[in-house]
Amino acid sequence: MPLELLLILVVGGISAIALLLHLSGRSKSKVMTEPQARDAWMRQFPESPIADLTLARDGHAAVIRTADDSAPLGLVWSFGTDTVARFLEDAKLSPCKKGLHLRLADFSAPAVHLHLDQPEAMLWQGMIEGASAPQSHPQNHPPVQEV
Amino acid sequence: MDTISFPDVTQLAVPIFIAAILGEFLWIALKGRGGRYETRDAVTSLIMGAGSVASGILLGFIAWGFFMVLWEITPLDLGTSIGVIILCFVLDDLRYYWVHRFGHRIRWVWASHVNHHSSQHYNLTTALRQTWTGTFTFMMVVRAPLVLLGFHPALVLFVGGINLVYQFWIHTEAIGKMPRWFEAVMNTPSHHRAHHGRNPRYLDCNYAGVFIIWDKMFGTFVPEQDSDPVDYGLVYNIATFNPLRVAFHEWVAIYQDVTQPGLSLKERLLYALAPPGYSHDGSRDTSETIKAKHLARQPQDSGTPGF
Ligand SMILES: [Zn+2]
Ligand SMILES: [Zn+2]
Repeated sequence: MPLELLLILVVGGISAIALLLHLSGRSKSKVMTEPQARDAWMRQFPESPIADLTLARDGHAAVIRTADDSAPLGLVWSFGTDTVARFLEDAKLSPCKKGLHLRLADFSAPAVHLHLDQPEAMLWQGMIEGASAPQSHPQNHPPVQEV
Repeated sequence: MDTISFPDVTQLAVPIFIAAILGEFLWIALKGRGGRYETRDAVTSLIMGAGSVASGILLGFIAWGFFMVLWEITPLDLGTSIGVIILCFVLDDLRYYWVHRFGHRIRWVWASHVNHHSSQHYNLTTALRQTWTGTFTFMMVVRAPLVLLGFHPALVLFVGGINLVYQFWIHTEAIGKMPRWFEAVMNTPSHHRAHHGRNPRYLDCNYAGVFIIWDKMFGTFVPEQDSDPVDYGLVYNIATFNPLRVAFHEWVAIYQDVTQPGLSLKERLLYALAPPGYSHDGSRDTSETIKAKHLARQPQDSGTPGF
């Protein structure tokens, strides 16, 4: 097959499929309920039961404190129609217009945009920055049994 | 005999790929079942496919040069009769089985193959989410015996292309099970769905290309279980649609692991060559520990397929 024809087919094909998917509503991000956010976390980290979960109002992300007090905070967020989760080690936080911008030291998960309104953004910033500062946890959460 | 040429089947199949993807999408949209499509996921998969063809055009000369050297050396020439083509196809499928198995059990090869598994979706676009870095795995050496046996390099690449094109249609949830005899001999959507599963049960199973018999022969066959729906993707799912990150993330991870301070030479080598999940301090999970931890939580699964 001539290279020009192959190129036209590939570029044309990808564009047509992208357009069709977008126009038929396939570009939406997953909106999680609290149980769904829990499931999404446990799906990635079945060995790290959740002690405490804070769901963003738009349902696109949740901050997670695990039962292990020495573990960093976790974040589960919508990734297209699916979800991903990471522990927030070496996360760099900066406020942006729509909420918070989180940069992770992870080549396969470089950054997360958290869409939060002003009070919510302040709350989340406090949680995330507070957790990364060394501190002692007064209450010891019992491990949550997941069935 | 050095001037024989076969069509490049993967390039010729591009129009069929596009038509079949549109067909599968319409089927799902009309029936309301049989799979899921998502814009950015699909576009990333398609760009990976295009990039894979491009890398073949740019780097293909390396494998080709290697095969032609072997072809000069070997005194054998089996020709290109129909029988020889069929035999080559079957033996090359055995070659595919082992390359694919190495692709999941040797991190250096996994770094290339991982991107095929990096989508949480499973539809016909996932089939095209192919590697850009296959040349750097040196897995062309597994084809060396075929050339040395007297199969012309062009024939070997031709049947390898047919093998890849065959695997396109099995990346779908729109087909449940094929007829029993077909499921028994051939790789099917059902068998390959299990291969794409991140469930502990389905880790390291069903490496087949065309014939599922290799998995049955070498003990890696796990049938898809209705009781354990396949959860597609990686054990540790990536959070990027950027094709460059998809293509190179595991190579970057190997580099970071191999170059960390305070390791012995053996540990550095193991980070590159041991099964994915190896760590010098045991802090990470391999498929073996993932299966063991699952059985600790769900002891009733012990003895069922995949455990
Ligand atoms: Zn695979
Ligand atoms: Zn596949």
